[in-house]
Amino acid sequence: MNKETGRLYKAFIYLCLIILAISIIVPVSWVFMASLKANSEFQGNPWTLPASIMWSNYLKAWRDAGMGDYFFNSVITTSLGLIILLVVSIPCAYVLSRMEFKGRKFLTRYLKSGLFVNISYIVIPIFLMLLAWNRKIGKPIFTNNLFVLATIYAATAIPFTVYLLSNYFRSISKTYEEAAYIDGAGYFKTMVDIMVPMAKPSIITIILFNFLAFWNEYIMALTLLTDTKKTLPVGLVSLMQSQRAAANYGPMYAGLVIVMLPTLILYMMVQRRLTDAMMVGGDKG
Amino acid sequence: MKNTKRFLALFLALMMIFVVACGPKQEADKKEPEKVEEKTDVKEEPKEDKKEDAKEETSGDKPFEGKTLKIAGLDGGYGTEGWKKVISAFEELTGAKIEATFEKNIAEVIRPQIQAGNSPDIIYMAIGGEGGITETMIKEQSVEDITDVFDKVPLGEDKPVKDKIVPGFLDTNNTNPYSDGKTYLAPLFYTPCGLFYDKAKFADGGYELPTTFDEFFELGEKAKADGTALFTYPTAGYFDSFVPALMNEVGGPDFFNKAMSFDVESWKGEQATEMFNLVGKIAPYLQEDTVSNTNIKDGFKNNQQAVIDGKALFIPNGFWLPEEMKETTPEGFEWGFMALPAVKEGGDRYAFTFFEQCFIPKDAKEKDLAKEFVAFLYSDVAVKAFFENGGAVQPVKGAEEMITDPGNKEIYSIYADGAKAAMGGFVAAPPVEGVDMKAALYETINSVMSGAKNCRRMASRSCRSSGKNICRITVIH
Amino acid sequence: MRSKRKRRFIIACLLPAFVLFTVFMVYPTISIFMMSLYKWGGLSANKSFVGLNNFKILFKDANFIKSFQNSIFLIVVVTLVTMTLAIFFAAVLTREKVKGQNFFRIIFYIPNILSVSVIASIFSAIYEPQRGLLNGLFRLFRPDTWTNIQFTGNQKLVVYSIAFALIWQAIGYYMVMYMSSMAQIPNHIYEASGIDGAGRFRQFIDITLPLSWDTVRTTLTFYVISNINISFQLVNIMTQGGPDGASHVFLSYMYNQAYNNSSYGYGLALGVVVFIFSFGLSALINLVTKRDTIQY
Repeated sequence: MNKETGRLYKAFIYLCLIILAISIIVPVSWVFMASLKANSEFQGNPWTLPASIMWSNYLKAWRDAGMGDYFFNSVITTSLGLIILLVVSIPCAYVLSRMEFKGRKFLTRYLKSGLFVNISYIVIPIFLMLLAWNRKIGKPIFTNNLFVLATIYAATAIPFTVYLLSNYFRSISKTYEEAAYIDGAGYFKTMVDIMVPMAKPSIITIILFNFLAFWNEYIMALTLLTDTKKTLPVGLVSLMQSQRAAANYGPMYAGLVIVMLPTLILYMMVQRRLTDAMMVGGDKG
Repeated sequence: MKNTKRFLALFLALMMIFVVACGPKQEADKKEPEKVEEKTDVKEEPKEDKKEDAKEETSGDKPFEGKTLKIAGLDGGYGTEGWKKVISAFEELTGAKIEATFEKNIAEVIRPQIQAGNSPDIIYMAIGGEGGITETMIKEQSVEDITDVFDKVPLGEDKPVKDKIVPGFLDTNNTNPYSDGKTYLAPLFYTPCGLFYDKAKFADGGYELPTTFDEFFELGEKAKADGTALFTYPTAGYFDSFVPALMNEVGGPDFFNKAMSFDVESWKGEQATEMFNLVGKIAPYLQEDTVSNTNIKDGFKNNQQAVIDGKALFIPNGFWLPEEMKETTPEGFEWGFMALPAVKEGGDRYAFTFFEQCFIPKDAKEKDLAKEFVAFLYSDVAVKAFFENGGAVQPVKGAEEMITDPGNKEIYSIYADGAKAAMGGFVAAPPVEGVDMKAALYETINSVMSGAKNCRRMASRSCRSSGKNICRITVIH
Repeated sequence: MRSKRKRRFIIACLLPAFVLFTVFMVYPTISIFMMSLYKWGGLSANKSFVGLNNFKILFKDANFIKSFQNSIFLIVVVTLVTMTLAIFFAAVLTREKVKGQNFFRIIFYIPNILSVSVIASIFSAIYEPQRGLLNGLFRLFRPDTWTNIQFTGNQKLVVYSIAFALIWQAIGYYMVMYMSSMAQIPNHIYEASGIDGAGRFRQFIDITLPLSWDTVRTTLTFYVISNINISFQLVNIMTQGGPDGASHVFLSYMYNQAYNNSSYGYGLALGVVVFIFSFGLSALINLVTKRDTIQY
C-alpha cells in the first residue's frame, strides 16, 4: 500500500467514525438543549439555541408532570429488583457450577433455555396470570405493585445472570473450598465468606448490566403499573401524549433528560468496566 | 477499581438523598388529585350505630344512608371539579358515600378491577377512548340496561330525565348499542364537531367560506396557488366525526344507521361510493406533513398548529381545540367554526355531535343507587356544576344558553343556525379477530391521503370488514 | 449426615431461583400456547375453546402478513447492516492506530444504555416533518425550496425510519463486543502474515474474522430475538403501527389485537407463531454459521 492510498484509507476511516459519533452526540446533546427552551420556541427551526435558559422546565417536569414520583418509583423498583436478583442468583449459580449432584445438567439446561425467552412475549400472559391471582384473593393487589414488578424483573434476569456467574465460579480453583471445609466451615459459610468475595468483579458487572436493564425497562412497567406508580420510561411516554392539554415541549424534553441522566452519569463512571465485561458475554460457555 | 467502587457508593448515596429529599414531599403540591375520596359531611345526624339499611326508606330524607357507591372515570378535557361538586351535592341529598376515582389513564386503572370481577358501580368513559374498555364491555354484553333511569325524576326536581334531554340523544347507536330499543349508556357532555378555520383568512377580501363540496374543492385550488393547503386533520381517528357527518349528507340518517349496523349492501351502494370518493378527493389538497404528524407522539398538535400558522385552511375538531392550542396561538387569532359543506347545492349540512357516555356495569354492586346517581347527572344542579367547572355542556334542553364565551357560543349555536346533527357510531358486535371496523374505515384514510391506497380500496376494505362483523352479529341475536 | 446437609444446602440455594424462573418465565411461556386456543375478549370471564381456529384466521389476515413482512425486513436488513458495520468499526478500532480510539468506543456505546422510550422520543424529534432535526437541517441549506421528507408518513419510508433507529441503537453494543474478542487475537499472528505480505484486507479475512467468528455467531443468534423485541417497543411508542398498519411488526400487532381489538386469544396465537419463528430462525442461524472453531 503506498502512502497516498494509505492516507485516503485513514481519512475514510475517520470519516466513518466521525459520522457515526456525530449521529449519536448531536441528538443526545440536542435533547439537553431542547429541555431549556420555552414552549414558543419549538415552532421554529429546531437548530436555534434557546433564547433564554428555562430551568423552570425541569421544575415543571419534576413536580407537575410527576416525574419526581416516577423517579422515586424507578429507584425503588430497580434497587428491589437488584437485591432480589442477587439473593436468588448467587447461590443458584454457585451450586450449579461447583457442586456435583444428580440432575445438575438438566437444571442447567432448563435455566439456559430461558435465554431465548424475551420479556416482550410473556408480558400479556404474566399480566393475565397476575389478574387470575387477584381474582383468587378478591383484591387487586398483584397488579400496580412495585414489589411484584421488581420480582418479575429479577425473575426474567435470572437465566442470563446465573449463566454469567456460573462461568465465573467455574474458573475458581477448588482448593479454597477444600481448605474451608477442613477448617470446619459449613456450606453456607463457605459460600458467603469465601466464594462471594472472590466473585465480586462479576457480581459488580451483573449489577451494572441489570441496573441498566431494570432502569430502562418499558413494556412490562407499562402493562403492570398505573398512574401514580409509573416508572420513568413509562412516565416519559405518557408525558409525550398529553391529549387535550396544552403542549408542553420544554418539560417533555426535561423529562427525557431526567430519564437519561442517571444512566449517562453511571455509564461515564463505569464505562471501562461495562465494556470490558462484555468479554464474558461472548465466551465459549 | 477502587475509584469505581467509591463512585458507585457515592452515586447511590446521592440518589438516595435525592429521593428522600424529593420523594414524599410533592404530595402536598401535586396538581392532579389521585383519588377523590370525599367524606360525607354528616352534620345533622351522627353516623354511629346506624344500622345498614338494606332497603330503601321511602319515608326518610336520605334513602341511601350508609351505602357506598364507587365511580371511576376519565380525568379528561373537562377536569374533575364538576364531578366533585355533583358528587358532594348527591351525597348531601342521599346520605350515601361516594368513592370516586378519576385518572387520566383510567382504562389501565380499572381494567384489572373489572377483570377481577370487582368493577365500579358507574364508569364514565366514552366510546372510542383509550384502551377500548367501553367497547369491549358492550361487545361482551356486560353493560346494565338503564332504560328506566330516564323515567326517573332527578332528586329534588319534578320532571323526568327523558323530558329534559335534548331529542335525539337517546336513540343513537352509542346509547342503544344493541338496537333492541333499550338504553345502555347515558349520554353526557356533548360538543358539535365540524371544521375549524382561521377567521382572518375569510375576512373581507379574503377567501369565501365554501357552502358546498364543489366550492370547497374550488377553494382548494385557489389556496394551492397561494401556497396554502385546504385541509389537515389531527389524527385519522378524528374522522369518526367527519365521516359520519358526511354519510348523513350523502344518504341521510337512514343510510348512516344501516351502514353503522354493518349492512354490507349499504357499504357497497352508490351512496357509500360517493362518500368514499369525496374523502379521496381531499387527498391532493392535504397539508403535506399531516400523515407524518399523525404517527408521531403528540404530532396531532403540529397539524392543529398548521391552521394557526396559515399552512392549512380547515381542520375537523371539537370545541376543545382553541383551549388545547392556547399556548402557541398568537394574540388576536380567532377560530371560526362551520358544519361540513353540503354535498349538493341546497343540501343538508351536518355537524357531528360528539358526546361522552357513562354506564353501569352488569356486575355493579349498588345498581339502584347507581341509577339514582345517573339520573341526578341531569338535574339542574349537576348541569350547572359541570358547566361552571370545566365547561362541559350536558345534552339537556337550555344547557347551551349558559355559554357566554363568544367563540364557544358560535360553536354550540351551529344547530340553531341550520346545521343538522349526526350522532352515534357502529353498533356493538363481538370482536372479530384481525378485523377492526374503525381501523378499516378511519385508519385507511391515512393510506388514501398518503397515496398508498385509493378510495376504491378503502371502500372494499370497509365492505369486507363490515361483512365479517355482520356474520358475528347474526350469531349473537 | 454430611450428604443430607449437602442436599439441604443445594435445595435451599436452587429453590428460590427456580421457583421464580418457573413462575414468571416458563409458565407464562407455556400459557401463551394454551391461551392461543381460546377466544377471549379479555374483560369478562367467558372464554371459549376454539382449537386452532385462531391460527387459521391468522394466515389469512392481511394485517398480520404485513407485519410479518416488516419484521422479516427489519430482522434481515438491520441485522446485516448492524453486524457489518459493527465488525468493520471493531476491526478498525482494534487494528489501526486511530486517534481517540477510546473516545469513539465510549460514544458508540451510549445508545445502548438509553431506554427504548428515550430512543423513541429522540427519533420522534429527529423525524418530525416541520420541526424535526433532519428536515430542519436540510432546510438550513435550502430554506426556500426544501420539501419535508415524510419519514413517518410515507408508508414505504416508515419501515426504513424504524430500521435506522434500530441500527443506531445496536451498533455500539456489538462493536464493543467484537472489539473485546478481537483484542484477544495474539499480535504475532498478524506479524507473521504481515511478513508474508498480506495486506490489511487479507488479514481481516484470514485472521480477524475467523478468530472472532464464535462471538459473531453467538451474537447473531441472540440478535434476532432482541431485534424482534426492540423493534416492537420502538414501534409501540413511536408510530403505534401507523400509518394504517404500515409499520406494524410482529409483537406490536399482537398487542394491538389483544388490547385494541379485544382479541386476547388471537393475540397470543400471534405470539406463538412469532415465538416458534424466532426460535427456528435462531437455530437456523446457528446451523448455517457453524464452522470449526480455530484455536490460536
